Amino acid sequence: MSSLSRKCVPFTPFERDLAKSRVVLVTAAGVHRRDQEPFNIADDLGDLSFRIVNGDAVNADLMVTHHHYDHSDADRDINCVFPLELLRELQTEGFIGEVAKEHVGYMGYTMQLKKMYDEIAPQMAEYVDKKCKADVVVLTGG
Amino acid sequence: MRGIPTALITVGPEASRQMRPPRAMYPKGFKVGNSLGKPGQRELQKKVLRDALLMLTEPARPGQVVEREYPEYES
Repeated sequence: MSSLSRKCVPFTPFERDLAKSRVVLVTAAGVHRRDQEPFNIADDLGDLSFRIVNGDAVNADLMVTHHHYDHSDADRDINCVFPLELLRELQTEGFIGEVAKEHVGYMGYTMQLKKMYDEIAPQMAEYVDKKCKADVVVLTGG
Repeated sequence: MRGIPTALITVGPEASRQMRPPRAMYPKGFKVGNSLGKPGQRELQKKVLRDALLMLTEPARPGQVVEREYPEYES
């Protein structure tokens, strides 16, 4: 039997209207801007850092650095894992209120789980809350 | 700190289930690296994104990973 998390489910009710909500993407798929430092795939422990991607980044600005999944499809079309461009379309259509000005990419592989859980994830959540001012977060993996 | 409502799109449902996410969907049969669909499947990718967002407004199943069928993935 698989081991289920014993922590309580961190459920936050959604009480807004999607059409009035600011949406942030957070991805563990190793997405970052081409002009940002790539994630360190040489470190066997993984790379716990995260990158901030501007909400108006175009697909050609983005790339993937991750060595624990086959990202050849995302290399051809970043929407496979990080649908920022599509989120902008949903804003234009009025389905969501607003694409946030900043989004988060990190490499979802680490052997430092405690540090990720206790330090890095709260830093990301703080950023998403205070800087991105998220009403909603969509999470993707690889 | 206040909570932030989240919606997870996962292609590793077994691993995700162990974490008991508040709102999560698994597009059935999508392989790792194709969370939203294959390259160029723009309409499908958008549909998956829209469905993920709609989890916010649907009756919640906290801790569950909901399977969704997208037959067009294989087309």
